[in-house]
Amino acid sequence: MLLAEATQLRVHTESSPASLPATVDAENDHELMIAVRAGEIRRLGELFERYHKPLYGFFVRLTNQPSASEDLVQIVFYRILKYRHTYRDEGKFSAWIYHLARKVAADHFRKSASTPTPADPVDFENHPDQDPAPDAQAATSDDVALMRRALARVSHEHREVLVLSRLQHLNHSEISRLLDCSVGAVKVRAHRALKELREVYFKIRKEAAA
Amino acid sequence: MNCQRVQDYFIDYQDGTLPPDESALLRTHLASCPTCQREWSALQEITRKLDTLPADETPSPRLREQFYAMLETHQRDADSVSPFALARSRIDRFFAALLPSTPALQFAGALTALAVGVFAGARYFHAPAPVPAAVVDSSAKHEKEIADLKAQMKEMGSLVAASLLQQKSTSERMQTVLATMDLKSPDRKVLSDLVGALAFDPSVNVRLSAVEALAQHADDRLVRAGLLSALPRESAPLVQVAMIELLTSIREPDAVPIFDRISRDETADKDVRESARRALAVLRAPSPTDTLKNNQPSNPLVS
Repeated sequence: MLLAEATQLRVHTESSPASLPATVDAENDHELMIAVRAGEIRRLGELFERYHKPLYGFFVRLTNQPSASEDLVQIVFYRILKYRHTYRDEGKFSAWIYHLARKVAADHFRKSASTPTPADPVDFENHPDQDPAPDAQAATSDDVALMRRALARVSHEHREVLVLSRLQHLNHSEISRLLDCSVGAVKVRAHRALKELREVYFKIRKEAAA
Repeated sequence: MNCQRVQDYFIDYQDGTLPPDESALLRTHLASCPTCQREWSALQEITRKLDTLPADETPSPRLREQFYAMLETHQRDADSVSPFALARSRIDRFFAALLPSTPALQFAGALTALAVGVFAGARYFHAPAPVPAAVVDSSAKHEKEIADLKAQMKEMGSLVAASLLQQKSTSERMQTVLATMDLKSPDRKVLSDLVGALAFDPSVNVRLSAVEALAQHADDRLVRAGLLSALPRESAPLVQVAMIELLTSIREPDAVPIFDRISRDETADKDVRESARRALAVLRAPSPTDTLKNNQPSNPLVS
């Protein structure tokens, strides 16, 4: 009985809404990028339309700074243009763009570690639900808000794995290539990250209830 | 399968990437182990909650505007260089299609080209008769040109020396006088300039250097006349002694009356009078003695 429940609850990557365009048309991405590399710069517009939202989501989850995240997305596409000649024929575009995104994020964290970023008023405006808003009564939106706060509190390296695997739907071997470690290490990290997230989540829920 | 092992497999099982037989083992363990059941359902619960977060957030329209603005500038940059790039890539493609791509074929092609070249050279170009004549002709011409150039160089050196003697500073005039020593056969202009320096230069050092420089050309009539006329007017004992020694070494007979006058002059320097007396003795002696020549520390270039 319990077993049946458990197997039913199994979360399939396939069944979740695919936000990563790679699953839509990886072949096409690659061809577009080859065209961009050959000088048809405007073709990058199509790749932007496919990738800018997931990338933005990646940066927002990772940094919790919506307006800075827009800049980071812009930087990623700028670097794609600047380094388009280094894009390799056998490469996979989604892997490449996340590789660039991780580097951009790392640069951002290094910079903001040395200079404390002043609170951006735009961020408050865009994200009033960082704290439970009075009108957000529905249980689902409460859950989402709680989860956002919990994810924001998880350590950076765990958060990165969670965002890449659960929200960006990269598989473990792709993540291992991005993080430059073994697939096994990624799985261990993913498991620990979920545990940490769970602890943080219930702690916050307890605080909210009290 | 123990609990630790089972929990290590959770992530793979969740993803559906665990092999079927191991999945079966895991399910049997789960059915019998309450601890792992709790772990598993906790993991599933938090994963489901995490998955409710929208992966795509909607950025502000600013992002799209900025991106397309950047795209346009890059496209324009790319377009502005494209004619050359296009032409170059076409040329590259043309040659790539024309020439062999494998190294072995390239090597063979190069060897063939070399053989054809050697053959053609041996077959068609064995009449090199006019070449030596041209070489002789041109070498004669070159020698003449070189001679002309040498003459020009000499003239130039003299000209520079002459112009430098008009310099204002003592050290520059000094350098110029010393530079004339390097000239093997200076022309009249340089000699007369040196004589002028000897007679009129305000600096004792320059006059002394001029005496040294003129010593090499003391056989020249102009130089002898210049020395004879400059000596009576000279006031510095050092220069006087040097001039006396020089005139003695070249055995200038016209210097005798001047030496005589100096040796009798009570106002003259003691050393000057002494050297004038000795010079008179040398000049009047029928056979030349080398004593004075050996006593010329101020004039080592006379030989």
